[in-house]
Amino acid sequence: MKTNMDADKAVLMAAFAKFDVVALAIALGAVLATSLFLATIFLVLKGADPGTDVGNHLRLIGVYLPGYSVSWSGALIGAAYALGLGAVMGFILGVLWNMTHYIYVALIVIRTTWVNLMAD
Amino acid sequence: MPQSSGTTPTPQINMALLKAAIKLNTLLLASVSGLLGGLLLFTITFLSLNKGMPYPGHYLNLLGVFLPGYNVSPAGAWIGLFWGAVVGALIGALFYRIYARTIETQVSNYLRQGRSSKDLMTSVMKIDGNSLGLALGAIVAIGLLISTNWLVFRGTANESFNAALFSNYLPGYSVSTAGSFVGAIEIFIIVYLLCLLFGWVYNKIAVLRGGDPQ
Repeated sequence: MKTNMDADKAVLMAAFAKFDVVALAIALGAVLATSLFLATIFLVLKGADPGTDVGNHLRLIGVYLPGYSVSWSGALIGAAYALGLGAVMGFILGVLWNMTHYIYVALIVIRTTWVNLMAD
Repeated sequence: MPQSSGTTPTPQINMALLKAAIKLNTLLLASVSGLLGGLLLFTITFLSLNKGMPYPGHYLNLLGVFLPGYNVSPAGAWIGLFWGAVVGALIGALFYRIYARTIETQVSNYLRQGRSSKDLMTSVMKIDGNSLGLALGAIVAIGLLISTNWLVFRGTANESFNAALFSNYLPGYSVSTAGSFVGAIEIFIIVYLLCLLFGWVYNKIAVLRGGDPQ
């Protein structure tokens, strides 16, 4: 039978569960890659207004991502970049999230130990 | 291992502890996303400055409409660091507050299952794509509502050609109050679907890697 102690542990588990950093990196990379790929392809398929180029503004992403353009090949190149950038962002986010929890728990342990030492 | 049964009463959740845990995580996520947001805008600003273009940050400068004092310059990068941190922290806090509404349900589900307390030591976070979509979708939709109506309020709606480009992806969107509501609904749906994909990929990989997402 589960007790109230289990309930408290479950709450703490929900609060202190860590991210799977690799899964987070891949998932964020996959979503960003899908988003940029679809956004590019959507404009390619839609075509340009008369007298203008396709994706005049979206292609400015090429300023940051060399090789990217609003075209089928550019969509693949952009997706590859987005996958890498998303993975890096996911990795950093996961590491920071996990690290802040470890630091917080460590501080609690140190503080408790210190209080106990002073009490003795 | 003791198993819970339909007749076994589920223990009460300590709401004070739950609220304290949510408060802590809100603070931590606000700190992390604030740090990331600030550094991201700072880095993008300097990247734009150092690309050697004739008009550095021609479009990035438009952020100054929403972030007072920001522009693409060395000094503007520091102001961007500040604003990026503020906006990142607010988004992080708001996001977790909305997402945390499901934690009580997650805890209740755990308690109904017959898992040992050893699980607690190795618990990996499970991402609820539905809650994530509701939280992030709401934030992005509200962001579009506020930013569009800010342009309307400033009286520059007719000159906001760049904002109007959203209509490429959000049919019916325009820089107007009515258009902002149409766009907000559409962008909410798009973000919601992307979050479902994100949660699905994350949970699948976490399980494949031997984790047991809670």
